[in-house]
This record gives sequence, structure tokens and C-alpha cells, in this order.
Amino acid sequence: MTVHAADAAPQDAASGTSKWSRAWQNHAPGYLFLLPWFIGFFGLTIGPIISSFYLSFTDFDLLTSPEWIGLANYERMFTNDRAFATSMRVTFTFVLFSVPLKLAFALAIAILLNRGMKGLPLYRAVFYLPSLLGASVAIAILWRQLFAGDGLVNQFLSIFGIVGPSWISNPNYSLWTLIVLSVWQFGSPMIIFLAGLRQIPQDMYEAASLDGASKWRQFWKITLPLLTPVVFFNAIIQTIEAFKSFTPAFIISNGTGSPINSTLFYTLYLYNEAFSYFRMGYASALAWFLLLLIACFTAFSFLTSKYWVHYDD
Amino acid sequence: MTIRLGRRQFLMGSSALAAAAAAGISPAFAQSALRLIFWGGQARADRTYAVTDLYEAAGNPGLEAEFLSWNDYWPKLATQTAGGTAPDIIQMDYRYIVEYATRNAIAPLDDVIGDLGEFDADQLEGGKVNGQLYGISLGANSVATLANKKAIEEIGETVPDNSWTYADLERLGEAFKSAGNGMVAFSDGSGTEPMLDNWLRQRGLALYTADNKLGFTADDAVEWFQMWNGFREKGYIVDAETQALDTGTPESSMVATKKAAMMPSNSNQLVIHQSINDDELTITSYPRIAPGVGGGHYRKPSMFFSVGGSSADPAAAAAFINFFVTNPEAGAILGVERGIPCNSAVREAITPTLDEQSQIALNFVANLGDLVGALPPSPPAAAGEIDLNLLRVISQEVAFGARSAEDGGKAFVEEATAILARANA
Repeated sequence: MTVHAADAAPQDAASGTSKWSRAWQNHAPGYLFLLPWFIGFFGLTIGPIISSFYLSFTDFDLLTSPEWIGLANYERMFTNDRAFATSMRVTFTFVLFSVPLKLAFALAIAILLNRGMKGLPLYRAVFYLPSLLGASVAIAILWRQLFAGDGLVNQFLSIFGIVGPSWISNPNYSLWTLIVLSVWQFGSPMIIFLAGLRQIPQDMYEAASLDGASKWRQFWKITLPLLTPVVFFNAIIQTIEAFKSFTPAFIISNGTGSPINSTLFYTLYLYNEAFSYFRMGYASALAWFLLLLIACFTAFSFLTSKYWVHYDD
Repeated sequence: MTIRLGRRQFLMGSSALAAAAAAGISPAFAQSALRLIFWGGQARADRTYAVTDLYEAAGNPGLEAEFLSWNDYWPKLATQTAGGTAPDIIQMDYRYIVEYATRNAIAPLDDVIGDLGEFDADQLEGGKVNGQLYGISLGANSVATLANKKAIEEIGETVPDNSWTYADLERLGEAFKSAGNGMVAFSDGSGTEPMLDNWLRQRGLALYTADNKLGFTADDAVEWFQMWNGFREKGYIVDAETQALDTGTPESSMVATKKAAMMPSNSNQLVIHQSINDDELTITSYPRIAPGVGGGHYRKPSMFFSVGGSSADPAAAAAFINFFVTNPEAGAILGVERGIPCNSAVREAITPTLDEQSQIALNFVANLGDLVGALPPSPPAAAGEIDLNLLRVISQEVAFGARSAEDGGKAFVEEATAILARANA
């Protein structure tokens, strides 16, 4: 399709209306092309967000109309809900351990791959693969098989005479299998680290080597400081992802957070409140609190970033 | 090649799309077809679709049916109901029928359902809410102990008959222990709501009373957890770690994974369990608390068909339900997969055609004898939450040793009372 801007309304600089209509004529095709996205954005994203904010102040069971109850949902969250406290503890444990471990792992592999070994594209693809499969149902089911009582992990351990527990169904270990699952999906931060490492000028390392600095010292004094912007970016993205983590816990425990709520992630609890017990109002309040939590965390990261993130400009 | 799309044509096309999107319709859905939704597995779906085909072949309006797993079913149905797009024919459960009926999300059927023939009175009664008929039972079933016949006979024992007791469970537990083949006698039933219900009913109590309260005390709950702790300590049932692998699907159950020879189940589920197990299975009753004590079981409507409250043509929907439960040909296709048919003509017509497992299920429900007690009142709102969020979690805490039986029993009654008070205020 060709757009003939010159065919637009006759020039009349004095008239505001015609200026607007000319601008509209110029941009209309653009907006038309954007229309599908706008419909999706306002209809499927902004609309539900606004209505969930309203619903968070109501008692709504899907079958009857919402009933305004003010702040009662938020009040219940903090005063009268043990499962809420459990889900907060589970989620914070998950975030605190999975994010640093995942970043450390991603960085280590990225440094290894950055040495210019043979077949780099292949290794890069192979290491990235788990991230592509990451949130999938198939991987969660596979994880169940691996870490069950008679699963592959215990079969491997039995070679060394170790009798492992049923990792996935023991409340002491079940959350850790999910943390391991998350760390294993280190592909996307790794790719970003790899790109970051390529940006570090080689002459710095050469100079350091001439001065007799060890590889270890070079890592702490050159690589890491120059990489902090990338670390910062990865940390924020991964933390948000970790707070929102849902699929693995949902599949592995079939939506229950079992055993003994040890994998009752915040999002899983929210989902159960909404769709198992039909408390849409309360679930909306939970969702808004999570949003607030993530926002606070991100703001905190940005505020502290000036003390540890180095931008070389 | 260049495709030239005039501005006018482009606008017309896109506005038509936008209009369609705004109206929430897609051309694929014809207005005349009835919509049917049910939960279940592939075996149930195959049978159901065969009946809808039969119905259409007889010159009736077409049906668009979809099915989901139990867990996915209720969110979807609730969402569709909230959006005013609930299907015309809805498979309904005893647990939810009151909630849906009192909110007019399903329609009364008394005037539209027509002649159901000779239909079991207790099953008809089970589909009533406040005296009005809201659901047509698709079959009667009963709780039952699913038993791996082959495994039990391999260790030189026989599957217990309907007279068996919890003491027999211990005896079988000992037999499996000495056989030492890696299988134990029973799954951990401490978190299985119907089993607790059955045990309470044998003691003359109930899980819930008609006025939406708990029908038992903390002492009963403590004794319940203590009994299972005893079984677990003696190695008669699976350990806590193994039981936690059961996520509620037939495939992950303790009998399917060959961890236990027996487990609590339902009479109609023998069919599905046999289809995923290469050992010969059978069913027997839940154990009695003492020889000769009955009254724990009851014939439960396994599920209903209801008509959606927003259905444009309730009469047509009801006509299909009538066909589904009274037509002998449909009955022959459906078998006992949803429970024992309630229409006596259908039941008699299909009995000779049933396979072995279906015969077992049918005979079991027909011959419960003194095990049958009165039909309990329909469960209160939040019964589902007490089952999923409380009984299961506390039974696991007790099983893993994170709580004592005393503590667990008290906490269960205390918190269940609070949940009931909040939900039925």
C-alpha cells in the first residue's frame, strides 16, 4: 500500500482543525497498522489491570457481582492468613537463592565460552537450550521423574552407595529441586554476559598481564567492575522473573504446593485463591501486593546501583 | 508479484475484523449448536462424543462438546459463567451444585426434562436444591477400595470382601511386610476426605452437618491421625515421602505406581485404573471400624448434567440430557464409566454387554447391603477448601512428623470451623 502524503488536505497553516486532520491523515495508516496491538494492549492488558485494581477492594466469587468491602482483603492478608506468610517465605527463599546462583553460574559459563574455544556457536546453543525449554510443562514433568524416589538422580547416587530421599516429595528438599531447575536455565543471562565480556577491551588484560596480575586478580579488578552494568541488568530481570515463577511449581505439585506447602509459591497461592476457591477479590489484592513488592525491589536496586555499578563514561 | 490492496478495501477488511472482535464472535461457532462441557479423560471423551454423534444422527441439533481435566474444569466453567458464555449443558459435581444453583448459574429442570422413565429415586433426590431439580445424575457410585488382585494373590492372600475391617488391613499390612517385595498393603489415607467421612459415619458422626458445621470434634480428628500414624510406623502403609508423589491423577496414584496394593477410590474409577495398569485390579469396600459395623457408604450421584442458567434454549439442552440418560443405545456406549445408570431400562439393557471391570463395579454398587447409610446433606461452601488446603496439608504435616497427631487434630478442627464460619456467614 502506498501512502500519498501529498494527496492530503490543502495547505492551510492558519487552521488548527485542518492541521490536526492533516496530521491524522499522515499518521492514520501507521495507527491502523498498530491497531491489532492497541486492541490487545488496551483490551487484554490495561483493561484487566485496571479492573483487577477495582476487584482487589471487593468480594467477588465470579458467579455473583462483586461487592465493595474496602480494604478488608488487604487487612486479611497481613492479619489473618497463614498461607500468605508461608507463600512469602517460600518465594523469598526461592528468589534469594536462585537468582545469585543462576547469575554466578551464567557468568562462569560465559567466561569459559569467551576464551574462543572451537565450536563455540554449538556450545552456546547447547547451553542456551534449557532456557528455551525453561517454562515448559515437559521440563517440569521431566524434573519430577529425575528427582522422584526411584528417579535418575537417586540411581546415580546409588552407584556411590548413597540412598537419596525422594527429593521432589520431601518438604526439606522439594523447594531446592525447583531452585536447581531455575539455575539450570541460565541461558539468557549467559548470552547477555557473553556479549558484555566481548565489550571489555583486550588491551586492559594485556597491560595487567605485563604488570604481573594473576588471572584471578584480573577477574576481580577488570572483568567484574567493567561488567557491573550487565550484572545489574541481569539481576533485575532475573529477580522479577523469579518473583513471578509459576509453571514449574504448578506442574510438579499439580497446583497444590505440596508437600506441606513447601513449594507454595506466591503466584501459586494467588492462582489457587482465584481459581480453586473463587476468591477473585482476594486474589486481585494479592496480585497488587506482588506488583508493589517487585516495584519496591526494583526501585531499591536502582537507588543502590550508583554505589556499585560502574559506567565507563 | 505485487498485491495491491486499495485503502478502501483495507479499511473495510480491518473494520470487519475489529467488529467481529468487539462482538466476541468467531464465524466458526454456529448459533444453533448446543454447547456441552465436561471433565474427564480420553476414555470418557470417546464415549461422550459417540453419544453426541448418535444424537445428531437421529436428526437432532448438533452439539459442540469440549472436555478438560478436573483441575482445569472449574476455573474454566467459573470464568465462562462470569462472562455470561456458559455452555448449555454442564457436567456438575455434588460439591458445587448448591453454589451454582443458588446463584442461578444453572437452571431448574422440573418443567423441561420430560419423562425419565423408571429413574432411581435417591439419585433424583441428590440432584435437587431447595426442592427443585437442578441436576440429572449420570450414574450412581460409591467409595471403594481399589485393590491390585494380582499382587495380593502373589503373596498368598485374597482380596478382602465387603466384611473386612481396619484390623484386617493391619493383618494384610503384616503379610506384605513379610513378603518384602517392595509393595505395602495400603496407601496413606489420612488425607483422603471420603475415607475420613466414611470412618466418621461408621461412628455415627458426619463430616458436615446439614447446618454447615463440622459433624465431629477434635478428639475424633486426633484419633484419626493417630490410627494412620500407627499404620505408618508399623510399615503397613506407604511413607510420607512416597504418598506425596501422588498428585491426584490416576497415573500418579499409589496403586498405579505399584507402591501399594490397595488405596481409597470410587467404584466407577475401576475402569480408568484398569486401563493404565497391567495387573488385574478389583474393588472392595472401605474397611469397617469393627466387624459388622456398617452405614459408612452411600450411593452418591457420581456427577450430573445441568443446564446453564444463560442457555438460550433450555428445552433443547434438557432434551439431550434426557436422551443421554434414557436411551438404551446411548447407555450401551457409556457403560458404567460415569457410574451405574439410574434408569432401570438402560441398566437392564446394558448389563449383559458389560466387560468384566464394569460388571464388578455394577455388582459392587448393587450389593453394598448393610454398608449403606443415609445420603449426607450436600457439602457446605468451602468444603473444597477444607479438603485441599487444610486436611491435605495437616495430614502431610502429621505424616512427615512436623506436627503430632494431637496437635494436627486440634488444628484441623479449629481452622475448619473458622473457614466454615467465614464462608457461610
